[in-house]
Amino acid sequence: MDAELYYEVTNLLHYEAFLLDNRRYEEWLDLLTDDIVYRMPVRVTREVRDGSDVVDDMAYFEESKVSLTTRVKRLRTTSAWAEDPPPRTRHLITNIMIEERMKDDELKVRSNFLVLRSRSHDIESEQLYGERIDVLRQVDGRWKIAERRIIPDQAILSAKNISMFL
Amino acid sequence: MHTGSQQASVVGNSLYDQVKEKLEQGLFPQWIQTDPQIFDLEIKNIFGRTWQFLGHESELKKPGDFVTRWMVNDPVLMVKNEQGEIKAFLNSCTHRGTHLCTADFGNRKTFTCPFHGWSFNLDGELIGIVAGNKIYGEAMDKSEWGLRPIPRVESYRGLIFGSLDPNVMPLEEYLGGLKWYWDIFLTRSDGGMEVRGVPHRWVVNTNWKMTLENFGGDPYHVPTSHKSTVELGISPSHPLYSSFGHQVVLEHGHCVNVNVAAPGSSSPPYQGLPEEMWPMFERNLTKEQLEIFKKCTVIVGSCFPSLSFHCPIHGSEGHLHNYLTLRVWRPLGPTKVEIWSWFLIDKSAPEEYKEAAYKGYISSFGPSGTLEQDDTEIWVRVADASKASMARDKQLNYNNLLNYMMGMGKIEPDETFPGPGTAYPTCYVDYAFRGIHKYWFELMAEDLKKIPVQA
Repeated sequence: MDAELYYEVTNLLHYEAFLLDNRRYEEWLDLLTDDIVYRMPVRVTREVRDGSDVVDDMAYFEESKVSLTTRVKRLRTTSAWAEDPPPRTRHLITNIMIEERMKDDELKVRSNFLVLRSRSHDIESEQLYGERIDVLRQVDGRWKIAERRIIPDQAILSAKNISMFL
Repeated sequence: MHTGSQQASVVGNSLYDQVKEKLEQGLFPQWIQTDPQIFDLEIKNIFGRTWQFLGHESELKKPGDFVTRWMVNDPVLMVKNEQGEIKAFLNSCTHRGTHLCTADFGNRKTFTCPFHGWSFNLDGELIGIVAGNKIYGEAMDKSEWGLRPIPRVESYRGLIFGSLDPNVMPLEEYLGGLKWYWDIFLTRSDGGMEVRGVPHRWVVNTNWKMTLENFGGDPYHVPTSHKSTVELGISPSHPLYSSFGHQVVLEHGHCVNVNVAAPGSSSPPYQGLPEEMWPMFERNLTKEQLEIFKKCTVIVGSCFPSLSFHCPIHGSEGHLHNYLTLRVWRPLGPTKVEIWSWFLIDKSAPEEYKEAAYKGYISSFGPSGTLEQDDTEIWVRVADASKASMARDKQLNYNNLLNYMMGMGKIEPDETFPGPGTAYPTCYVDYAFRGIHKYWFELMAEDLKKIPVQA
């Protein structure tokens, strides 16, 4: 993998985090391909011999570009109480790794996330963390997110809702 | 404390008298909401003496299938044995009390404790002790050391419940009239409902009564709490839209709201379920149930103390879908609830419909759901504002009483409603809440009599 490609990928994921933390959701949507598959399956506790602890049959997010757009529109209404007053979020994206060049114009990229949320007068922050497995696709010379699989590390979410994007 | 016990003996001065008087007026002392002493009494008197939901039969398909659950703080291991019967045990080794199985689900022939290796079969019998005969000799009677069963386990049409009270009334008697409403969605189709995947689990800083009440009797919150979905055109714009239909008060604190479309507007028959399923509904339901089901938009309610159900017609991306979600509100503290949310759909529904209904659930009532998000935010706000000195004042010096007076003495029951219970001809009433409070009070009464107002 060349350094320039790695720079482009990290820059995209950092820019995405910047847009989300600054509530620039319409610009965020523009980073996603129109056919994006955006999923967050449920994590469970299982013994090793029983196999995967990711349950794909149930998800926290099961989204398309259309449904993500609906979610963004909701945040722009006058009554999305979970996000108004807006909680402060910080997307910390680390351990970015280009795992595979799937095609000339498609990359499989892994990254870790820690999203901290400070709500209202709460003293303790809420946090969500885990791994994201993305497929990035080059569209008109720009890398866009064509697939995102968000694997939470928490089997019981310690956040009262998922009103943010991950 | 000696002053306390003197006060307690004075008629008119115990919490019992205060609470009774206020409840009769449709008022709920705010201090009760998140009071730690009350919370401990609720765990003992309410959660220790009623039925709690453990899971759905479709979660245990083959012998050896197990799931682990909680009855408040009691860990539960629920298994299907070789005979196909469902058993539930305290998930704790009988040797030294270790939490026996910490996996969420799986399939086993035996459960072996990681501490000293005692192992148990699917009937909870102790079948193996490491070095047993050598160290314990024949004096050790293994049959005395099986897993401790949950005192009572019974099920109703696939819904499995447990009770810690060996003398609790039978489940079906406890559910009473609720069964008639549950049958509408549990028996409407051949094969009944089935759980998809695993339940969502997340923690919200609120009190369990808040969440139980919200599903049980609060269609009034819908146009305001969920106004964002009205603005988006997902929910109807009529300001009274969630009031149409009936609120039904049942025994033991249970309650149901059966919503219908606003007068002059229509909703698709049978909550928009595919037409090919209609003959099943007509075959499986009574004429009265069918009549209600055909016209309803939402069936939502609560089974006291910690199970709620929601069977809506809900829009996503221009399509309308129906599904059933079951909720357990597991109290973790006076202001902490672990929510368990199951998605269920008819086993015999077309596959593509099941998939679309599942997506409808995720977008509306999963933890990221556009409706769910705002509910949790508001439940937290109620708990936050109920924790402080003024709200917690037991002498009610600050008018710290919550208003549950809607419809009191103004709205009369609709005697023509075909279902069991007392049905009111609108869902904008607080009769369901007052029914919850009444049973809450009944179970808490003995202890409330012992606590003076000054405590």
